[in-house]
Amino acid sequence: MQSSTSMKKAGKLLVDWAAVIVLLLSVIVFTALRGGAFFSVTNLINILRSMSTVTIFALAATVSMAPDGFDMAAGTLGSFCAYVFASFYLWFAMPLWLAIVLTIVFAMVMYLLNMFLILVCKVPDMLATCALQFVHQGLGLAYTGGSAVSAGMSTAGWATALKGGDSTPLRSGWTPASQNIGKSPYIIIIMVLCVALCFVLLERTKYGRYLYAMGGNKTAAKLSGIDVKKMRFMAGMFAALFIAIGGIVVCSRNSAAQINGSDSYLMSSLAAVFIGRSVGGREKYNALGTAIGALLISVLENGMTMCGVVYYILPAVKGAVLCLALIAAYITSKED
Amino acid sequence: MEKDKITLGTRKVSIEFPGVKALSDVDFQISTGAIHAVMGANGAGKSTLMKVLSGANPGYTGDVLYNGQAVEVRTPVAAKKLGIQIVYQEVDTALIPNLTVAENVMFNDTVMNMKGKLFMNYGKLRRDAQEVLKRLNVDIDVRRICSSLSLAQKQMVLIARAIQNTCNFLILDEPTAPLSDTETEELFRVVNHLRDTQNIAIIFITHRIHEVLRICDSYTVMRGGMIVDTTPITPDTTSKEIVDKMLGRSFEENFPKEICDIGEKSFVVEHLTEHEGRVKDVSLYVRRGEIVGLAGLVGGGKTELCKTIFGAYRKSSGTITLNGKELKIGKPVDAVKNRIALVPEERRKEGVLVAETVTFNLAAASLGSFCRASFVNDRAADKNAQKFVESLSIKTPSIRQKVAYLSGGNQQKVAVGKWLAADCDVYIFDEPTKGVDVGAKQEIFHLINEIAKAGNCVIYATCENSELLSITDRMYVMFDGKVMAELETAKTNENEIMHYATGATDAYAAC
Repeated sequence: MQSSTSMKKAGKLLVDWAAVIVLLLSVIVFTALRGGAFFSVTNLINILRSMSTVTIFALAATVSMAPDGFDMAAGTLGSFCAYVFASFYLWFAMPLWLAIVLTIVFAMVMYLLNMFLILVCKVPDMLATCALQFVHQGLGLAYTGGSAVSAGMSTAGWATALKGGDSTPLRSGWTPASQNIGKSPYIIIIMVLCVALCFVLLERTKYGRYLYAMGGNKTAAKLSGIDVKKMRFMAGMFAALFIAIGGIVVCSRNSAAQINGSDSYLMSSLAAVFIGRSVGGREKYNALGTAIGALLISVLENGMTMCGVVYYILPAVKGAVLCLALIAAYITSKED
Repeated sequence: MEKDKITLGTRKVSIEFPGVKALSDVDFQISTGAIHAVMGANGAGKSTLMKVLSGANPGYTGDVLYNGQAVEVRTPVAAKKLGIQIVYQEVDTALIPNLTVAENVMFNDTVMNMKGKLFMNYGKLRRDAQEVLKRLNVDIDVRRICSSLSLAQKQMVLIARAIQNTCNFLILDEPTAPLSDTETEELFRVVNHLRDTQNIAIIFITHRIHEVLRICDSYTVMRGGMIVDTTPITPDTTSKEIVDKMLGRSFEENFPKEICDIGEKSFVVEHLTEHEGRVKDVSLYVRRGEIVGLAGLVGGGKTELCKTIFGAYRKSSGTITLNGKELKIGKPVDAVKNRIALVPEERRKEGVLVAETVTFNLAAASLGSFCRASFVNDRAADKNAQKFVESLSIKTPSIRQKVAYLSGGNQQKVAVGKWLAADCDVYIFDEPTKGVDVGAKQEIFHLINEIAKAGNCVIYATCENSELLSITDRMYVMFDGKVMAELETAKTNENEIMHYATGATDAYAAC
């Protein structure tokens, strides 16, 4: 009897820290296989840099999911934000800070559409954001005139008209400052700041508690006097903030706002969030767990690439890790 | 050809749940071609007995008799084979909302009699369903999707499903509770029609005595898991005699009523109506230091009234005033801002956050006061938790324990403590003693007395009359979303409460 409970405890501990254990194991295995090439400061920076974008999008998912929400359209909105950022910066030669601020404002304004569908029309989050994916993709390309936004390329029709018929962009290319956003150490600093912001919001402020209360039991939260709609709206605005930052970072890293450039980050970011959910037995979507999830994915991708695994198999690995994380989270749940 | 009369009964049927004897040695009998009412206060054992008859409660001892022969009805299928069908009160749990009326009516047939067949014959299905509805003499388009039906129509679909199979005994569990007057008339018409043309026995579980007197041929009264009496209904049967049988000698649960100084009128509700009509034109007032009861049976509208006051249900008209100031309450947040607290009935679903710690829960309604500039001060929250764990003697190994692992009574204390921390003026309790043991009950009563003593207004909703009589100063008796009577606790008794709670509109004549 006693041994079975201690076995159970040990098993639970194993499941709770599974992500961290897998992380440590993979570090050990890759170090054994590749030695200094893997286990070095340079490579650590590589890993951190590559996880940054996923992490930032994953934070957007984390704040949406804490109050039991969801956002399938984060990737497409990120791409749209990148178009907007690049056009403001290149086409209209706005100062960098202004382009960033306006892009964030733009993301929040676009997010009002999500909130309208979810809070006013009461469409379930998943379905509303599924529909919005297409809206983002279509409107985004309408905005750029159907092409990517990169240095030297002529402006879209409406922007040309706005500038009095001149189709050459006002800024001829990216400046070092704008490109630094996507380079280390700045990209890593931005990621850390985003994780810290999300952590403080969810763990240290009353709003975070409200969001978790809603995630646990919306009715009870409502009857405790929590304004559930207001809180969901606030979570949405934070998600928009992270999405805008994510879009800007991706754009800067690619030195261009590529067509649908951020779309593919959605699934990776969701994987990071799900892996992070059970880290440390939190059973809650949380900022640090999400960061650990993203780190695990990046370490695996980095290490396997180094070991000569062809790149097109990597998604399968990512998927397998996600499956394991989900199994760990749900296998113990009771059946209805 | 006239069907022969069939009888169904029980002999010495008993059921024991841990710690409670739900049924003890029940002898019960009915025969087809009659409408029989089964009545009793909440917890009298009506539903348990019906579950035994319908095979939903296999753990009974004793015999179920079919035409005098002992039979085994340990599963719903076995009961259905004997022609015992039951329609539960919650119609939505039995219907499949996204299928058509025809598919729902013929559902058992589709599930049970399709062995070896692959394709559905929808034409036949619809014709069969139409046939069954014609037997009931009701008119519903069988092509309609069930979710678009009214509650009364859904009930008809379920009754149709029941009689589509062999049906000798039809059990209706509180069928009229959610229905309007005209819908009730329609149900009665169908029930009478079934009895007269199909030779079916209808067992009617209800709280509504005047309905029983109108349409039933005989009645059984249950109390405390036993049958008190079974008699035919004659024109001389009065509602008073039934109420007396339902209550029997009153069990005096002694909870000391502590004396509070009652102040001036503080909390006033006038002409409150809920927008779906679940609360109809309710007016009440509470003075400072007063505990006002909301009496009534399950489904009488007490919970609905509490939630409407609190803003969880939308009101369509009426005013709520606190200390002379009219409050605008559109949602629960507004109620909390105006220092109104609700301890809801569904503790685990609505009252506490079971996945969170005791600390979290005790701070949930007043988190702002444990924050400096929106940042949670964990130490202050812990201190608050410590204070209430001690003062309410909440039994928990630690303030970091998840509330899910506490006992029901302790969870309830957490649900109350949350509001004490928020320091409210009006406290609304909805069935606060549901599912807690006697010891915890005493503590909760004491707690409520303390709240009143501190000069707050307390509203206490329960269907346990003995609790109302011991803890309240005054009470409003509700029936069907309306207040039927306002009673002074010191000058009333259970019989009078029951009289109004069963829908009587005439003044109670004490004997």
